[in-house]
Amino acid sequence: MPSATEPIPPGQSESVARLGSGFARWNRKLHFYAGLFLLFFLWLFALSGLLLNHSNWSSAEFWKHRKETNYERDIAAPGPEVKGDLAQARQIMRALGIEGEILWTTTRTSPDLFEFQVRRPGHFFFIHADLARKRAAVRQADVNLWGVMQALHSFTGVQMADPRNTRDWALTSMWAFSMDAVAAGLGVMVFSSIYMWLQLPQKRLPGAVALGLGSLICGLFCLGLRWIF
Amino acid sequence: MRGRFYRLIRDLHLYFGLFISPFVLLFAISVFFLVHSWLPRLGSAVSTTRLVSALPLPGDLQTLSGRPLIDALKPALEKAGVSGEVGFVQHLVKEEKLIVPVTIPGREATVTISLTSREATIVTREIGLADALVTLHKSPGPHGPDIRMNWFYMRAWRWMADTTVYLFLFVSLSGIYLWYMLRAERPFGLLLLFAGGLTFFGMAYALCH
Repeated sequence: MPSATEPIPPGQSESVARLGSGFARWNRKLHFYAGLFLLFFLWLFALSGLLLNHSNWSSAEFWKHRKETNYERDIAAPGPEVKGDLAQARQIMRALGIEGEILWTTTRTSPDLFEFQVRRPGHFFFIHADLARKRAAVRQADVNLWGVMQALHSFTGVQMADPRNTRDWALTSMWAFSMDAVAAGLGVMVFSSIYMWLQLPQKRLPGAVALGLGSLICGLFCLGLRWIF
Repeated sequence: MRGRFYRLIRDLHLYFGLFISPFVLLFAISVFFLVHSWLPRLGSAVSTTRLVSALPLPGDLQTLSGRPLIDALKPALEKAGVSGEVGFVQHLVKEEKLIVPVTIPGREATVTISLTSREATIVTREIGLADALVTLHKSPGPHGPDIRMNWFYMRAWRWMADTTVYLFLFVSLSGIYLWYMLRAERPFGLLLLFAGGLTFFGMAYALCH
């Protein structure tokens, strides 16, 4: 980034130059302010991404080391005013003291039997409710920190090509919003860095080589493979 | 000495950052598609169907499963002109057929092989750039480690994804060092770091407990 003492190119008005240097200064500040604020989020997504890509690493095998507990509780059968699977599931969860994102994995075969899963990072609840007997059996699996990290990486409450699963917990929506914010923040950091690099004439060539090489390799995977094969 | 170290770190931060920026953008853009379970369709997905016969199928194909099955199918797929990462192979025992999904980022092919006639019907769908970004974001992923990465280019992608993470960690650590060297920016930077940490750990705690 040029310093304030650098000469203004001929023909450029003072106000334009001031505006430019002001933008450059704030662009630079935005770059590291965004980076510092998002640091922990970025480290989480980077490290958990690495774990997800190496499921054979011992630390990535969290499911093997889960702790399971089983219990049964009395529940009140949902009345006729409680309509739909989601409302019924919420009532059962309230009775069991469970909070989290509901995951529909099975189709209901009988009006008296109701099976569903509830997930939150680190905890998996497999609920089997017998509405006729007014009892619910719960299998709870708790996983370690590595499992929590991997769950946070993909905890969106939705699945591609499965419209039945939608976000139904406020905290899932909040986490999904934070994922959007982190992604947008990354975009800001990338473009602010490109602007800063362009302000450094002596670094343009090596920087162009680095950016060009990265773009070429990335472009090969995004578009090139389809052309080659 | 300290000045030289600072300049070295600053240059590496810049060049490594520029190198990984297209990958970072790929991961960042695909986040929006994954979080909202939505893919923009800029054009209609193009689908083509063709038939290939006289496939070289090994005799013990029906006894194989997992990675050995995929490896045994490779010559047949090559003869059929289908390249890409092979997914979970379905074996329809009654019909004596194999359904083989083959993926290239942005393209899906379903190869239905008849074990009796040694013929294959290949349905290829061009699914576009957004799908390609999502495929790459999720690759290799945690599922089916024994069969995944059976195509050289997807193995290369895994190396690139790992490299991106390692370089990203270096860029973030070097970024902290470069910020810390700016004495005037320390107080506000620390405040943001603290605010970010509080937000992150607060949210993680609320989600997990």
